[in-house]
Amino acid sequence: MEKEKIVHELNRLIGNEKVLGSDMQITLYEYDAYLLRAKPDCIVLPTTTEDVSKVVKFAHDNGIRVVARGAGTNLTGGSVCLHGGIAIVTTKMNQILDLDIENQRIVVQPGLITLNLKNFLARHGYLYQPDPASEKSSTLGGNVGENAGGPHCLKYGVTSNHVLGGELVLFDGEVIQFGGKALDNPGYDLSGVLSGSEGTLGIMTKLVLRIVPKAEAVKTMMCIFNTIKDGSDTVSAIIADGMIPATLEMMDNLTIKAVEEAYNAGLPKDAAALLIIELDGLKDGMERLAEHIQNICKKHNVREIRVAKDEAERAKIWAARKGAFGAVGRLRPNYLVNDGTVPRTKLPETLDKVIKIGQKYNLPIANVFHAGDGNLHPLVLFDERDKDELGRVHKAATEIMQACADMGGTISGEHGIGVEKLHGMSFIFSAKDMAAMNRVKAAFDPANRYNPGKLLPELQKTA
Amino acid sequence: MSNLDQLGSALKEIVGEANVVQNPDQLKAYAVDGLVPKAVVSPGSVEEVSKVLIYANAEKLTVVPRGNGSMMASGGIPKKVDIVLSLLRLNRIVDYDVANLSLSVQAGITLAEVQKKLASGGKGNFLPLDPPHTEKATIGGIIATNASGPKRYLYGTARDLLLGLKVVSPNGDIVSFGGKTMKNVSGYDMTKLMIGTWGGLGIITEITTKLLPLPEASATLLASFNNLAAVGLFVRKIVHSVLLPSAVDLINEKAAERLGEKSKYLLAFSLEGVVEAVDRQVAEISDSAKKEGAVAVKVLKGAEEQNFWIRVRDFSEAVAKEFAPPVVLKSNFVISKHTELLGTYEKMAQAAGINAAFMVHAGNGILYTYILEKAEKTGGLAEFIGKLTAEAVKYEGNLVVESCPREIKEKISVWGQQRSDQVVMRRLKEKMDPQGVLNPGRFVGGI
Repeated sequence: MEKEKIVHELNRLIGNEKVLGSDMQITLYEYDAYLLRAKPDCIVLPTTTEDVSKVVKFAHDNGIRVVARGAGTNLTGGSVCLHGGIAIVTTKMNQILDLDIENQRIVVQPGLITLNLKNFLARHGYLYQPDPASEKSSTLGGNVGENAGGPHCLKYGVTSNHVLGGELVLFDGEVIQFGGKALDNPGYDLSGVLSGSEGTLGIMTKLVLRIVPKAEAVKTMMCIFNTIKDGSDTVSAIIADGMIPATLEMMDNLTIKAVEEAYNAGLPKDAAALLIIELDGLKDGMERLAEHIQNICKKHNVREIRVAKDEAERAKIWAARKGAFGAVGRLRPNYLVNDGTVPRTKLPETLDKVIKIGQKYNLPIANVFHAGDGNLHPLVLFDERDKDELGRVHKAATEIMQACADMGGTISGEHGIGVEKLHGMSFIFSAKDMAAMNRVKAAFDPANRYNPGKLLPELQKTA
Repeated sequence: MSNLDQLGSALKEIVGEANVVQNPDQLKAYAVDGLVPKAVVSPGSVEEVSKVLIYANAEKLTVVPRGNGSMMASGGIPKKVDIVLSLLRLNRIVDYDVANLSLSVQAGITLAEVQKKLASGGKGNFLPLDPPHTEKATIGGIIATNASGPKRYLYGTARDLLLGLKVVSPNGDIVSFGGKTMKNVSGYDMTKLMIGTWGGLGIITEITTKLLPLPEASATLLASFNNLAAVGLFVRKIVHSVLLPSAVDLINEKAAERLGEKSKYLLAFSLEGVVEAVDRQVAEISDSAKKEGAVAVKVLKGAEEQNFWIRVRDFSEAVAKEFAPPVVLKSNFVISKHTELLGTYEKMAQAAGINAAFMVHAGNGILYTYILEKAEKTGGLAEFIGKLTAEAVKYEGNLVVESCPREIKEKISVWGQQRSDQVVMRRLKEKMDPQGVLNPGRFVGGI
């Protein structure tokens, strides 16, 4: 169907204030936080489930592709309309529908910004655990679509562990409820398989999330090291000692310098590595555990340990960590962030390989990552106008993925496959593994209209 | 050669003579809802599992996977039972990575054996699952039925612990999903999709999970109440506090009696963690319980504590010994309604003249009903189950019959009230198991 006709029909279906179709508007939605650009045919901004259902049914009846999009912070091209179609942007579906403290659940629309939810809950003394670094701008629908992580996932699990149900618009516009406020609903774990499905199975229009009372006590320590190895050995030693703190985050020298120059956070610019270790829970025994961790740090030649004295100091440490991508972004015009994850015992060895890959391709790489989970984030810095450099960036990214796979790890821990990592899927999955995933796709979306060309390589070919 | 002989020789060729059972007397023990299989086969490798499934596909036979058989009375009546596939020979620990805090095992190993091994590695670790059938439950069976126990309150269930699975697809493909990393968003989360599917989307042959270090200290606090409303207020206070018990179980009088405790309503708190936190929680919850109307409070430690939780976990086994086949029902509902639901269920049982014990994971919104009489002597059981189901649905939940005789299954829906997501489940089953080879009929909506 022609673009003008699509816009006309959508105007009629959901009202022209919810439909964008001008060239300028379309250009604004042609990219996300990855390097790829592709234009949708038009954009809709639904406010209700009915709007979404009508748009999807219309798309289904007319063979048009649909791509769900939240705030567009996706790092792998997942929210780009690779093959045109309708971008269903959820940012106006940003309401809290039901705060249910008694049952420790909250029901929200998918376009709600993660941090807005967290701030809202904080006023009631409750917490939604997942804390992706992009939480200031990312939406919960996007978090669920990517199965986002974050520093505190070390102790509390990733987004899917906190999504208990919701509402889904199927490929033909039919609306179903899955999971719910109660646990253990009979049947397949649809919340589980939908989390991280990158918008390829349907569009979620409501999310039921678990909330918990805020922890009694928290202790945040910044541990500064003179070598990367001492930092990563400390991480392994803490886990091997039988301790799982709430976070075990790490930054390397390039990141520390970038953060310090951007925010004046008081970080030591000459340090080789910095660990942010946080304990939370009951106050009882926490001091003893903190001392024990400090002793492990000392055994691994820690240079200095700074303990946050109050919430303001803690907030400052976390602002430095969560602002790291942005700060590194100031160093060169572009960065590509890798997301490989390895068994946590393989962290020092893998970091070594990453450094060597950077040297081989003559590319600066900043490292800031969830060390306790073995989830690396090498940020490869470059200038996309330099075509030779761009070529080397893609080669380096592929080699890092391969290195993580070789270590018994995986190519993505929390950012997803999108378009960026499609060619890495064969590093970790056999053709039979992917065939099984294709059957799941076919069950949800038989004509491959939901976010085509993402997540599974075979689907890319048939798109 | 008869069909049965052909089946026998084909299976023997795959797994060896000693690992196929065809003797009618022996086969009876493997019947599912009265349907006796034609053969029981025990593969010794994943490849053999795959070959059995390829053969079953070719011959249009159905396959029912099985561990130690403790959940075989669950699920709907099977459409057909041709081959029972036992996973008990796949019972190795594949990889215990102490420093990574992960474990890979084959499906047929028991949780009890795994825990023994884990306790002896490094500083001592454990797999935080405590489902019924303490000694018998296999890891594969626990994952396939999404079994859980009291301590899910702190540690969660399979979906919070699994890192990876090796599965034989219905068509015989050997596939692997996830791995031993703590996070993984590469491709669909097929691992979660397989949990609680009763083997209907594939036979789980290998499981990789997270582990936790053994807690430094533990204690259990038992508080007796005479008044259900007081229980509700007290549990609400604890569940919404900063305290972090690992289990909050509510046990009614008839259930408590069978556990050797005298109490109208018994609340059991498991407390685990660093010694300072355990001591403080014991003191604080005791004080609070007394203030909120508890008539007796006691603390269990050591062997006494361990035995208490084993008796709780194995409650259904004890019931089964007395009243085979047992009737066990699992209701789920929003967490704040546990005392309302228990109160209503008690009244309904009384009105129906049915002798029932109830145990509730009060912080999780899960209630188990155990019928303490022989099912065939219990009049109006199907109707009673219907009433209990409606009540759970009122609180945004449902009711699943975990065990009951076939005659009851014929009158009710063992998976509770149908929901709108059934349409997707049916499509998933049709795409992933188009021939209906694996466990047809036993799952939600008869798929």
